Amino acid sequence: MTFGRRFFLIGLFLVLATGQRADEFKFPLKSNSVRFAAIGDMGTGDKPEFETSEQMNEQRKNFPFDFVLALGDNLYGGHSPADFEKKFASPYKALLDAGVKFYAALGNHDDASERFYKPFNMNGANYYSFKKGNVHFFALDSNYMDPKQLDWLQKQLESAGSNEWKICFFHHPLYSSARKHGPATDLRLLLEPLFVKYGVNVVFAGHEHIYERILPQKGIYYFTEGSSGQLRTGGLDRSSITANGFDTDRAFMLVEVADDQMYFETVSRTGKVVDSGVIQRQQTAGAAKP
Amino acid sequence: MKTRLRSASQIRSAVLMAIVVFGTAPIHASAGQDPQPQNPQTQTQQAQNPSPDLKSPGFQEFSDCVQKYVQLHKSVESTVPKLKSTNEPELIAAHQKILARKIRAARAHAKRGDIFTPAAKEAFLKAISSEFQGPQAPHAKATIKQGAPLKRIHLHVNEIYPESIPHTSVPPTMLQNLPKLPEEVAYRAVSSDLVLLDVKANLVVDYLPGVLPVEAMSGQ
Repeated sequence: MTFGRRFFLIGLFLVLATGQRADEFKFPLKSNSVRFAAIGDMGTGDKPEFETSEQMNEQRKNFPFDFVLALGDNLYGGHSPADFEKKFASPYKALLDAGVKFYAALGNHDDASERFYKPFNMNGANYYSFKKGNVHFFALDSNYMDPKQLDWLQKQLESAGSNEWKICFFHHPLYSSARKHGPATDLRLLLEPLFVKYGVNVVFAGHEHIYERILPQKGIYYFTEGSSGQLRTGGLDRSSITANGFDTDRAFMLVEVADDQMYFETVSRTGKVVDSGVIQRQQTAGAAKP
Repeated sequence: MKTRLRSASQIRSAVLMAIVVFGTAPIHASAGQDPQPQNPQTQTQQAQNPSPDLKSPGFQEFSDCVQKYVQLHKSVESTVPKLKSTNEPELIAAHQKILARKIRAARAHAKRGDIFTPAAKEAFLKAISSEFQGPQAPHAKATIKQGAPLKRIHLHVNEIYPESIPHTSVPPTMLQNLPKLPEEVAYRAVSSDLVLLDVKANLVVDYLPGVLPVEAMSGQ
C-alpha cells in the first residue's frame, strides 16, 4: 500500500471512528429528551462572554435547552454584588428570563459563597446531584476532594439507577491535552476508579481555556469546555487521546440525551459548529471502545 | 432520516472493516489511551512510605484546636441571621462580612500557631513530606502547579482571604491523609503555605508557611 493511500485510510478511519460527520448530525429533539448546554470558565464580564451567551440564545431558538451546566470559574476576580451582576446575571439575562436554569460547579477562581446564589442552584452545597429525566447529574467540587466528598460520591453513584445516564461535571479535567495545566492526575487517581466501578458515562470539565473531546478512557467519555468566556488561543496540543478540539474562539456545548443516545454539538461564539456526534450509553462500565 | 443514518452506519461499518483488513489496526491498537498514574496506595506500600498516623498526638492536638475554633464559629454564627439561597448577592456578601467581623472580634488576639501548634506542625510536615516524596509526588506537585496563585502572597491570621486571589487545589491524595475537618473550615494551598480557611467567613484561621514544596512552584 502506498503511503498516501495508507494516510487517507487512517484519516478516514479516524473520522468514522470518532463520531458522525457534521453534515449528518441533527438533534432528534424528542419530546421526553433531556436538553442542556455546558459552559466553562465564562465569568469574566467581558465582551466575548456576552457574545457567547448571545450565540447560546440564538441556538436556543432551534435547540430549546432547559438548563446549563456551568463548569466552574463562574466569576473571575472579585465576588461583590456588582461582580455577580456583571459576570453572570447580565450576560445570561436573556436565558435566565426565559426560565433556563443554571447548575454550577466551583472552579479555582470561585468563592465558596457562590453556593448560596440561587441562580447557581447549588442550594448551599459545594457538591450535589440532581436528576433530569433518565439522567443523573453529579456536580463535584474538584478544588477540594476530601474523604467526605468521596464518600458522598460513592454512595450517590451506588444508589443511582443502572438504567440511567450518569454524568459528572466539575472544574479540573482528569484528561487533557491542553498546554497550560494538563490533566489533573492526582484527582484522577481518586475519581476514576469510582467512575469505572459505578458506570459513569460522561464527564464534563473546564479549567483549560479550550474545547477538547477526549477518546473514551476506560470506557468513559470526557469533554473539556473551558472557553465560554476565557480563551487560550492555540492552547490545545492535540495528542493521541484527542478526538477533536477547538482553540481559536470561545465555545459552548449543546447536548441532548434521548433514551440511550447522547447527541452533542459544540458551537463557537460565531455560531460555527466545531464538533458534533452521538454517544451510545455504555451498558456496563468500561464498555465504550477507545 | 433514520433510514439514511442506518445506511450510513452500514457503509461506515464496511469501510472500517476494509481498513482493518488493509492493516491499519496495529497503529491504533496502542493509541488513544492516556498513560495511567499508579494507585497511590500501592505506590506508597512499594516505597515503604507509610501513610501518616491520623491518631498521632500532633494531629490530635490540631483536631482539638479546630473543634474549639468551630465551637466559637458556631456560637458567633448563631447570632447572625441564617443564610439561605438567595437571588440577592448583597445578602450573601453582607452575611459573610458580618460573620467575619464578629469572628475577628471574638478572637482578636489570634496568632499564627494557635491551631497549627508546634506538635501539629510536626505531624503536618511528616504528612506533607510523605506526600511529596513518595511515588505519588509527581501527581501532587502537578496539582499544586496547575492552580494559582503561585507567586508569594503574604497572609495574616484572622484576616479576610483576598477575594480576587484564586485557590490552588490541595492535592486530593494528600487530603486523604490529613485530619478530617468540619464543614466550617477547609485546607487551602496558597503558594507554598498550607492554610486553614473559614469557608463561611472567608477568614484565614491559621496557616503553616512554606511547607509545600517550593520546586512545585518553579516554572510558573
